[in-house]
Amino acid sequence: MILSSLVFLPLLFALIVAVWPKAGTIRHLALGFSIIEFILSLGLIQRFDSNSSALQMVEKFTWIERFGIQYFMGIDGISLWLVLLTTFLTPIIILGSWTAITDRVRGFHICLFMLQTAMLGTFLAMDAVFFYVFWELSLVPMYFIVGIWGGSRRIYATVKFFIYTMAGSVLMLVAIIYMMYLTQEATGQMSASLLDFYQLKIPFIGGTFFSLQTLLFFAFALAFAIKVPVFPLHTWLPDAHVEAPTPGSVILAGVMLKMGTYGFMRWVIPLFPEASEYWAWLFMLIGTVGIIYGALVAMIQPDVKKLVAYSSVSHMGYILLGLFAFNAYGMGGGLYQMLNHGVSTGALFLLIGMIYERTHSREISKYGGLASALPLYTIFFFIITLSSIAVPMTNGFVGEFFILLGTFQAYPAFAYFAVSGVVLGAVYMLWMFKRMFFGEKGELVKDEHHPLHDLNAREICVLIPLVVMVFWMGLFPNHFLNYSKASIDNLVHNRSNYHLMTNVSGEAGSAPAAQGGN
Amino acid sequence: MNPTVGLGDILLISPIIALFLTSLLPITIKVLRGNREQNPVITLAQALIGLIVAIGLLVVFGGVGQTAFNNSLVFDGVTQWMGIIALCATGAAMIMMYENPSTKGKQFSELIFLTLSAASGMLMLVSAVDLLMVFIGLEMMSLPLYIMIGMSNEEKFSKEASLKYFILGSFASAIFLYGVAFIFGSTGGTNILGFMESAPELIVTSRMFLFGITMLTLGFCFKVSIAPFHAWTPDVYQGAPTPHTAFMATAVKTVSFAAFLRIIATKSLVGSEHLFDILQWLAVITIIVGNTAAILQNNLKRMLAYSSVAHSGYILIGVITAGISDNGVFGASGVIFYLLAYGLMTLGSFAIAAMLERSENHIVSISEMAGLAKQRPLLALCMTVFLLSLAGIPPTLGFFGKFYLFNAAIGEGLLWLAIWGVLGSVISVYYYLRPIVVMYMEEGKAEIAGHSLNATTVATVVMALAILVMGFFSGPIFSAVEASLF
Repeated sequence: MILSSLVFLPLLFALIVAVWPKAGTIRHLALGFSIIEFILSLGLIQRFDSNSSALQMVEKFTWIERFGIQYFMGIDGISLWLVLLTTFLTPIIILGSWTAITDRVRGFHICLFMLQTAMLGTFLAMDAVFFYVFWELSLVPMYFIVGIWGGSRRIYATVKFFIYTMAGSVLMLVAIIYMMYLTQEATGQMSASLLDFYQLKIPFIGGTFFSLQTLLFFAFALAFAIKVPVFPLHTWLPDAHVEAPTPGSVILAGVMLKMGTYGFMRWVIPLFPEASEYWAWLFMLIGTVGIIYGALVAMIQPDVKKLVAYSSVSHMGYILLGLFAFNAYGMGGGLYQMLNHGVSTGALFLLIGMIYERTHSREISKYGGLASALPLYTIFFFIITLSSIAVPMTNGFVGEFFILLGTFQAYPAFAYFAVSGVVLGAVYMLWMFKRMFFGEKGELVKDEHHPLHDLNAREICVLIPLVVMVFWMGLFPNHFLNYSKASIDNLVHNRSNYHLMTNVSGEAGSAPAAQGGN
Repeated sequence: MNPTVGLGDILLISPIIALFLTSLLPITIKVLRGNREQNPVITLAQALIGLIVAIGLLVVFGGVGQTAFNNSLVFDGVTQWMGIIALCATGAAMIMMYENPSTKGKQFSELIFLTLSAASGMLMLVSAVDLLMVFIGLEMMSLPLYIMIGMSNEEKFSKEASLKYFILGSFASAIFLYGVAFIFGSTGGTNILGFMESAPELIVTSRMFLFGITMLTLGFCFKVSIAPFHAWTPDVYQGAPTPHTAFMATAVKTVSFAAFLRIIATKSLVGSEHLFDILQWLAVITIIVGNTAAILQNNLKRMLAYSSVAHSGYILIGVITAGISDNGVFGASGVIFYLLAYGLMTLGSFAIAAMLERSENHIVSISEMAGLAKQRPLLALCMTVFLLSLAGIPPTLGFFGKFYLFNAAIGEGLLWLAIWGVLGSVISVYYYLRPIVVMYMEEGKAEIAGHSLNATTVATVVMALAILVMGFFSGPIFSAVEASLF
């Protein structure tokens, strides 16, 4: 029952936080809880069989018998690291928001834990309706986090975020229901299980938009593409990032965007193999455009947070490129880049939050010469910057290298353009770094009356694990990729006839029969 | 034909009798006491006990499709579920009436009398299969409502609303009756069971029958506020005292849909493609009109009124589904389940609106809710649950309601209606989020009315919990509904 406890423990935490009598210690309590959750999730690595591409630690109960909807969770090499990323970032976020969130602390941590439940559920649910419940549920706490603790235009940003995302996902709901009927047609038994969806052979006709598989493909892809977000659908992201409080940005960039790319890997590509192959050019194209467009727009941003937000658009373009290359390099690199982006962009947002707490400004032009004023801060910022522009030895390099390698193999034309994103990434990040940290001291930095303080012990504690991850993932990628290799290979080689075995090695819930008490 | 009335008939209508007797109780006591109100708590308690007894009788005696009074009333699953939903909604509305400034006070006994009379009319309406009985039920339900709305302590809008509702309601009844006349002319009877078998055929061969059925449908479209027959809804919902609005939006709508289902169950839609097309378009138009008009409102009750128009559109999708499938059970259970969810969330949101009313003449605007989350976190949380459920965000009951409804529609090939339905709910998110934004994200001093609101608060919290808990157990509930309809 480890997966269920992982998913639903945060909900319990949220309840405890809600009724905890001492308002002063809520942060400590929440931090403790999130660390417990993280340690518990480390147990997954130990129990995970990295040689198997099967779905492991499966838990399966009947939930809504009438429609064959199940309480169905499982983990494989694709979701393993995303789960760990979520549990790893949460304590960091709580520690990072220690002084940033001063208003309604209780409510904030309730939202955070609810969000954690929703995100973990999204990564682990293997039943379409069950998945959809978590997918939509994740909007609500994020909506409150941005809307209550955000900046001055928070309401516009949060409503836009909510409606944009919801608009994408409702068509997915219709598609899910439609596919449930397809399973009924195929097997006589309605089912919403992803494994049964994989068995479907959905008719595909190339050259037309109006073939069944293409329509279903786009219904799903739209939901995930908005979440990622890919190029023309990205406009909610800069707004949400700029207005969100630091912890909100971290979790949004760190985990929630990955729900979209994860959706492509878990749902779109294996469910609609012919359609994804046929339309791959479209996603490669918008991925490439996103890389270049995001980088160019990032370059001219006066607001450093907005710069990082647009850099996310650029980085997520790489992931899309990798996934639709359909080879082991591309897919593996895409998955790796999801983790990298979570670590390095999360760290960037935390760093920006730290300087914002000191100066209450994010305008690049008001800074300058930070390197001499805040040496420690500069070192951390520099390391993360390097990781973000994918310098060798950092995590970013591994991911981008694999993705470009995969793209060269599959569609060299796109790779030629995508490579320029590496250079452009260096341009906007290093230029921003130069303007903020070197040169003449900016107006915010040279203020004699309020000298800036360098990082304190808490902030260093927040950043150390992230920096460790940057180098660990950069130097020993195999420590991570080995766990995903079997699953990625299975996805790449059996794409047109994808299936997942369920590994039921004495796990609870292995009995397929109905045993949900209701 | 040999009309006989036996004990069995009496037992079957015992819930109606119980409600009728209970309705007389407070008003008789008032007369006996020399026209002095008894303690309103006692009045309320009597009424609630009457409702519980009626629900008990309905559960015990009805439910397997027995007919009473020479096939003019039927007691099957639809009667039972819809009746129970309507009676529960009546109970919740009465609790709100007890504490609302525009309804409490000197005439509470009369008000309870009228409410319970309307409730007995509702039970008649949900069980009627003879078109004349449908008409009688409709009028028994509507006449007390006209008076109730006008009886409010509020001075301006309620009288207008009452008159508007009365005039337009009479029109609708007349149209309905006109349709009944045509059906009588073409089939020689008014009993739905009587022409059920021949309806799909008749509708093709007999223009008169088609005309009659269309008129009946239009009459009901008015009652359940399907666009373009919805124009009365916002005015009446705004003008009526909030508890009455809640009552109309839930109980009245539920039973009207029950009767609508019975007419649609004749499979006339299968025979007449035009009627089928028109109804589909009406559903789509209703969803669009309701949702877009709601965006523009700043008055909380008007916004909820337009949202209830939009929800009628969703439910109409279910009704159409029930009408065209060979076995209408799936669609009908989708409708019942949705009405259950809709009843809970609508009653809850109107209850919050009622609690914000400081006096009988106070009209609550959305911007007045600013800061409610700080002043009354529990109520703000409940309102959030209701609104998210109305918007259909999982895991609330509202999501599962939509899921089953659209599932049935897709199963019958009405994919495009389901797509309109989900697109409508995306639009609706915009206005459902606004009160949440105002409550949680804007500074302000939202005030709860000064008078005691304990009973309403308890009812609201119970409804919010029900929405969350029943979301998880929606599967068994849906299966139970479906099983009872066979």
